[in-house]
Amino acid sequence: MAENILVVGGGPAGLNAAVMLAELGVNVSLVERDSFLGGNPKKFKYKFLFPDMQPADNVIGELIKKAETGGNIKVYYSSEISDFKENGKKFDVTIKTADKNELKTFDSVIVSTGFEHFDPARDAKYSYQLFDDVIDIKDLERMMGEDNFVRPSNGQPPKNVAFILCVGSRDRHVGNQYCSRVCCTVSVKQAIELREHFPACEVYIFYMDIRTYGFFEDLYWKAMEEHDVQIVKGRIAEITSGPNNTVVCKGEDTLLRGPFEIPFDMVVLASGMEGGPQSSEISKKLGIGLDEHGFLKPENVTLSPFKSNRDGVFLAGACTGPKAISDSITEGAAAAMNAYTYAVKNK
Amino acid sequence: MALEKQENRPVAEKGEHIIARHLIEDDNIKEEKNLVIDGVDVSGRWNTFILSRVDSEFDRSFFKEVKETVVGSRINRCWQCGMCTASCTVTPLYRRFNPRAFIYMMQLGNLKEIKKYIDVAWRCVGCYKCSQRCPKQVNPAEMMEALGLLIKKYFPEEVKSKLKVDEDVKKIYDDMIVGHGRLDLAKLHTSAMQKTGRTKELIGKIERDAIFKMAKDGRAFSILRLGKPHNWSSSKEAITGYLKNINTIENGESGV
Ligand SMILES: Cc1cc2nc3c(=O)[nH]c(=O)nc-3n(C[C@H](O)[C@H](O)[C@H](O)COP(=O)(O)OP(=O)(O)OC[C@H]3O[C@@H](n4cnc5c(N)ncnc54)[C@H](O)[C@@H]3O)c2cc1C
Ligand code: SF4
Ligand code: SF4
Ligand code: SF4
Repeated sequence: MAENILVVGGGPAGLNAAVMLAELGVNVSLVERDSFLGGNPKKFKYKFLFPDMQPADNVIGELIKKAETGGNIKVYYSSEISDFKENGKKFDVTIKTADKNELKTFDSVIVSTGFEHFDPARDAKYSYQLFDDVIDIKDLERMMGEDNFVRPSNGQPPKNVAFILCVGSRDRHVGNQYCSRVCCTVSVKQAIELREHFPACEVYIFYMDIRTYGFFEDLYWKAMEEHDVQIVKGRIAEITSGPNNTVVCKGEDTLLRGPFEIPFDMVVLASGMEGGPQSSEISKKLGIGLDEHGFLKPENVTLSPFKSNRDGVFLAGACTGPKAISDSITEGAAAAMNAYTYAVKNK
Repeated sequence: MALEKQENRPVAEKGEHIIARHLIEDDNIKEEKNLVIDGVDVSGRWNTFILSRVDSEFDRSFFKEVKETVVGSRINRCWQCGMCTASCTVTPLYRRFNPRAFIYMMQLGNLKEIKKYIDVAWRCVGCYKCSQRCPKQVNPAEMMEALGLLIKKYFPEEVKSKLKVDEDVKKIYDDMIVGHGRLDLAKLHTSAMQKTGRTKELIGKIERDAIFKMAKDGRAFSILRLGKPHNWSSSKEAITGYLKNINTIENGESGV
């Protein structure tokens, strides 16, 4: 009889894990909280992905199609794990869907519950809730995805846009010390897209450091060298309202030394990634570790980043920390391999 | 001392013939008015020497000293993002007052640079807006206090000549604290400006604009409305009693 493996969370990581396991002939149960698959990229309608600006559909759409038509994958939409018990080397799990509870026994489990976008409203200095023209990178992804990029306040295209990096990351006040890793690259990518769509619109990026690590650096160079995106060194301390329906960024130009208050038509906050409430919930429910940043904790961050501290429970994707889609997909495959080995060994 | 030399010799004369003279600081030009070497008269421009403008040392001892003080203990946290300066109450009025830059100068032990700001370094009004914003919780407001203490230690002469905390200031403190239970920053500021001989600035455009702005947005009136703290009379009694005992008020530190 084939192995039974549970995958919790149907984002890029979980989808790839499920697809790979199904190809091995495993019976996969994929439990997804939302009514659709694809995780955050689908939810916020990412349109073009960094690093190569390929349509998100090439990646996410492809994975979803494979998962939905692949045969061996039973997808539980709008559902969650309501009970989780060890049964020898196996696990007895109750899956709660909208209309019923289903008890199933699994040989191993992969957790790929992903991340939540930091809610910029939690950091009042950026006035996210106050001004329509202050949005964040996930809002911008969605606007671009819906081909509807205009100033929310008046429906006009903006004359200038400012990106503010490190919102909700690297700040003791909001409680997140870590770097969210993708927001710099998302910002330069979006800056390029804005300049391509609206050549008349000036784009500025306020930064402390720009962390487009590895080959993502190409986009940073491109933003400046091909699209005249201007970078300004200084973290923004406050956003207020300005004349003629503008929003004012208050900061210090730390290179020229001195404060500035510059009005923009639109401000885009590069809000980061958080473990979200699901990380602590799933950590409690499955009895697996949570780290000090609020993400799930791998057994050994370097040697076995895809393993939880509980035998038979594996981890993949952004649930263990901020990362790009390619890394999440790679980890999905790694977790699939390990979950499969564990299942076969203990049959 | 370099400063005295500079006072004796008018700036316009020293290094006058240097093209782009404005790019070079006074202290960096060495020029003897009368100099004869081996019988050759090399007075004035013939002996002009421009000191290197390249910094050749980071002085870490200064950093350690700041770190050991209570107010400066978090100096190692600052990563120069500028959020303190951006939120500072004072910087928009006096751009030379720049908490971020001051912290950097302290980190690198650049006393030469710090010395240029003795006249403005004390201007922090203690509003703590910077500390509220600082993402690293450096507590820049208290770093400004550390700066004040260090300036007092390393440049006592300059502090004496540029800032005087004398009987008058002491009296203002006494009157304000005992009489009203709070500092009247406007009054303190005015008095400090008078002490440093900058009365003109008080009625200058910057100050006028600030006052006008405050009157317009209502801040001026809310300041006037600020009463004494609740039940102040009993506190006042206690303080007066205490002051009578020690017969003095320590105003040194808080004044800088
Ligand atoms: C604005 C923005 C733009 C980005 N753009 C790019 C890009 O262009 N290229 C790139 O490589 N990366 C990009 N990223 C990063 C990318 O979003 C992540 O790497 C990726 O989404 C992580 O995939 P995941 O499957 O681990 O998590 P997620 O995408 O978060 O998916 C997790 C899934 O698990 C589900 N889930 C959560 N909890 C439960 C539960 N308890 N029970 C059941 N299901 C649950 C969620 O509903 C979700 O469907 C971007 C990130 C941001 C913030
Ligand atoms: S990736 Fe960039 S914007 Fe995001 S937290 Fe790191 S440095 Fe800040
Ligand atoms: S406490 Fe001092 S340095 Fe900090 S914001 Fe207020 S005036 Fe500026
Ligand atoms: S003191 Fe804080 S706010 Fe100011 S530059 Fe340093 S880290 Fe930034």
